[in-house]
This record gives sequence, structure tokens and C-alpha cells, in this order.
Amino acid sequence: MVDALFLGIAVLTIVSAIAALEMRSLIYGGLALMGTLGGIAGFFILLDSPFVALFQIAVYVGSIAVLILFVIMLVKSELIFQKKEDPKRRYAGIALMLILMICLGAVIFNSGLSSITTEEPPVDYKEIGEDFLIYYWPALIAMALVLAGSITGALILARRQDAVEDEQRTD
Amino acid sequence: MSVIAPKFRLGYLIKGITDNIFWIIVLMTLIGIPVVQIVLIYIDFPVIDGEIWNPFRVFDAMTHPERALPLVKNFMQTDLFKIVAFPGFGFAALIAAAVIFVERKMLAKLQLRVGPFYCGKVEGILQLMGDGLKLISKEIIIPAKADKPIFWAVPVLFAATAGAFVALIPVAPGWVVADIDLGLLAVFAVIGFFPIITVLAGWSSNSKFPFIGGIRALYQMVSFEIPLILSLLGIVMLTGTLNLSEIVESQVNFPWIIFMPIGAIVFFICILAELERIPFDLPEAESEIVAGWLTELSGMMYGLVQLGSYLKLYAFAGLFVVLFLGGWNGPWVFPIEPIAEVITDGIVIMPDALVIKDIPGLPLFAGEMINGTIWFVLKTAAVIFFILLPRGVFPRVRIDLLLKIGWYKLIVLAFVNIFIALALVYSGIIGPGGIM
Repeated sequence: MVDALFLGIAVLTIVSAIAALEMRSLIYGGLALMGTLGGIAGFFILLDSPFVALFQIAVYVGSIAVLILFVIMLVKSELIFQKKEDPKRRYAGIALMLILMICLGAVIFNSGLSSITTEEPPVDYKEIGEDFLIYYWPALIAMALVLAGSITGALILARRQDAVEDEQRTD
Repeated sequence: MSVIAPKFRLGYLIKGITDNIFWIIVLMTLIGIPVVQIVLIYIDFPVIDGEIWNPFRVFDAMTHPERALPLVKNFMQTDLFKIVAFPGFGFAALIAAAVIFVERKMLAKLQLRVGPFYCGKVEGILQLMGDGLKLISKEIIIPAKADKPIFWAVPVLFAATAGAFVALIPVAPGWVVADIDLGLLAVFAVIGFFPIITVLAGWSSNSKFPFIGGIRALYQMVSFEIPLILSLLGIVMLTGTLNLSEIVESQVNFPWIIFMPIGAIVFFICILAELERIPFDLPEAESEIVAGWLTELSGMMYGLVQLGSYLKLYAFAGLFVVLFLGGWNGPWVFPIEPIAEVITDGIVIMPDALVIKDIPGLPLFAGEMINGTIWFVLKTAAVIFFILLPRGVFPRVRIDLLLKIGWYKLIVLAFVNIFIALALVYSGIIGPGGIM
């Protein structure tokens, strides 16, 4: 059962990832990207971590993919993307991907990861949260500062220059 | 009152019905019964308790309460029943249909109109059935340059996502379709699909007004999702769980709205925005952009989207009840505690002294389930009433004001609510070591 599910989700993820790259229509590409991200959420559920899976759906499918769709719809695609039909590039890309996959596969198979068997129950997300707050709090605070800094930077970058027009708006 | 069918005559209707009955009887006797007899010859019937079980005996057993009731009770415990009928789709669709009718009638009363009146003679009570038949019988028109696959998929996806949302709401103890440990997170994940579907609906119909409506819906839903999620974190901190059933069980003594009224208010405003209801109905603003992202949908496609949006309304109201108003908890009203003699002797319900206590499978429902369902439905109806009420009272707000409310005010209020929850936990009033 799990094997069949794993195979099905793997096929879904890879096919929709290829479709996301190859689709002529950008909207359908965005939808295929959502399929890929949803498939990754399925992998997390198979790995007994529904917490990560639901956050994957809520954040990546629910927000990131929406942003991508939004940008695609608002911007005229001809202005950004110039179609370059170059078969050499495609073959080079496929060859590069194959080499990368073979190298990664060799590393993973030689690492002894596939022979590990564990009978331990899946880690509860509450324990992870407690660990975050007790042992790894410096990392948590560093992460929070970095995120706050990046949000502040984004706000400064996105600030409107036409302040005069801003004042004329009535609330 | 206009004449709906000018050539209608009762005699023709009766003649048509009797004609149909005549032909059904003739065809059944000539074809149906011989086919059944021939099929019965070739089937090996099972032998149970030394008796051959033919179909007639099965029918006999099914009509006999001693054998039928356990079957019914067994069927009620299956997942199929839960998904299709009680806490799932059927129950929610029934409430949704009632809400549609009550909304029209209530708005009419608020605005000193009559509302639906002629269908079904008594206060237009069959109006909903008439609307449904009209939607089913109408042609589905698809715009010439629409993106057909997405356009066809949108109503189905919308209703299915709303159904997935409904499946997470616990109605009575143990009566929930999907009782998962991370129920609240699953709610957030399901809510995240609605903006995608609406913006795809707007884009795929390839028309101006739906596109504007879809973009507005996207703005509105994405920006109100954040205060919605933040306003519920306080409850998660106090209860220490994300399971919705456990959150309800934690409110046996008092509902959380007592300690977190700010969170409840923020959540309620976010519900209004997520449901695209007045005063936040910009995506469907009928006086500006026809019907928003629903403009090009016709026939039963529109009907499906309406069904989905009212299922969503029920699910949000149910979520409010589950999180803030104590869900199924309430004083014991029904059924009344039975008399001791009834428990020991039972009730004679037939001349042959068929006694209730002898029949396995009775009572069909546990008392807790009926009582819990009554309280849940009452509270949900009250919340739905407050969701419907602004439509008769408020005007529509501007989009920049809407976004300003969402980003500047509601998020700040949601954080205030979180700090209240933190104060309650750390002062030891509620939570581990407190009165909980």
C-alpha cells in the first residue's frame, strides 16, 4: 500500500515538475508547480510528519503558488520572457540533470542510508517545539532577527517614492 | 402575479401520470418479472442457520426491526455514512439550504419587503426548490475564449474544497468525519485553496469583470488569512492541542470567548472577509462589477459555486462555535432521562409484546450525540444569523480601507489577543497548574 502510494506520489511530483518547466502556458505551468509542491506534502505524510506536510500545503501551495499565479496574471509575459527555442540547450540541460542525479544517487546509496531500519515511533512535533525553545533558542532568535531584518529591508525597498501623491489620498 | 404555464391543465397532468404508470406496469409484467425469475434460478442462495436465504426472506428480515435495526446502526458507524450523511455533506448541505432561504426571508423583513412569497403558498417555502430546478434546467454557457478545462474544474473544485472544510468540523462527541491531531492546521491548509480557485475562475472565464473580481478576492482572502490564523493561536496556547475535538472538550466549564473576546471579534471579522459577505463583498460587488468572479458562470456551475460558498459559511460558523462557543457542550435538554421501569421492562410497542429492550440496536443514537447536536446546531444558527445580519445593515467598504483594516488593525488586535493568552498561561490562571 505504502509502496503504491509512494510510486503514485513520485510519478505525480516528477511529471508535474516536468510539466511546470515545459508547459507553453504560464498559468498551467503554475498549476503544475502546485502539483509538485502538493506531491512533496504527500511525501511528508508518508514520512509520518503531518505537521510539516500541512505547513507545506498552507505555505507553499496556499501562498507561494498564489503569489506566482498572481504575478503571472498581472504581468504581460511577452515583456519578460523571450522564447529561445534552442534544442542544444535542452539536451545539455537533460544531460546535466542526469549526471547530477547519478552523482547524488551514488552518494546516497554508498552512504549506508538505505540499510538503516528503525522501529522508533515518529518524533512528536511538540518535542521539536520544546527543543527549539530550550536547547536551540539562540538559533531561533537569530532566525527571527534575520527574518525581521529582511522584512524591514523589503519594506524600505518597496516604499513609494511619490510621497506627494500619498498625502493627497484621503482615507 | 404572472401566469407561469399558460397552457397548463390539471387533466393533462393526471393523464400523463396515469399513462406513465400504465406503461411501467405493462413493461414490468412483460419484461421485468420474467428477468428476475430467470436470474433467481441461476443464483445459489446462502444457507444461514439451516435456512436457505432467498430474497424474500432477506426482505422479510430487513423489515423486521430485530434484524434491521442492528444493520442500520452498523451502517451509521461506517465512514460512508459519516461522509455522505450526518456530520458530513448531507447535514451541511441541509443547513446551507436552510441558510439560503432564511437569508432571503430575513433580509426582506429587515428591509420591509415581502421576500419569496408565491412558491409553495406558505411564505414561499418552496422557493429554494424552484431555484434549484431552474438552475438544473438551465443551459451551461461557456464563453467562447474561455480556458475550458480550468473553467469546468472551478465549480467542482470549489464545492470539493468546501466539503473538505466541512469534514473537519466536529458536531457531536465522536461524530466528525476526519478527526486528525492537527485539525486546526488542516483548516488553515484548506482555507489556502480558496483564493487559488477564485482567481483561476476569474482568469479562465476571459472576461473583464470576473478577472477584476478574482483579483479582488485574492487580495482580500490572502490578507485576511493572516489575522485569521493569528487570532486562533491564543486558543492553541491555552489548550495545548490542535485537535478540534479536544479543543471542544477543553470547554466543558466555560467557552473560550470569555477569556478571549478580542480574538473572537477578530476571527469573526475575518470570517466575513473570507466569505466575501457584506461589508466585505468586493469580489462580488453587484453594483460595480456585475457579479464579480461569478459573472460568467451559468446554470448548475453557478449552483455548485453557491452550494460551495454556503457550505463554507456553515463550516466557518461551525469553526467559530467549536473554538469560541464550546461546540457541543451545553446543559442536558434531550432526551429526557428515562424512567427506571422503562429501562428494566421496556415499552410494549406491538400486540405481540415486542418490547423495546429486547430489540438489539436501540436506542439508535446515544443521548450525548443528540444533545450535543442540538447545542451545536443552535449555536451555529446563532453565529450564522450574525454573519447574515450585516448584509441588511451595512454598505460596502472601499478596497483600500478593507486592506488597511486587515493589515493595520486586525493583525495588531490578534497579537494583543496572543499576549492575553500568554499572560493567562504564565500567571498560572489557565493552562498547566491552573484551573484547567
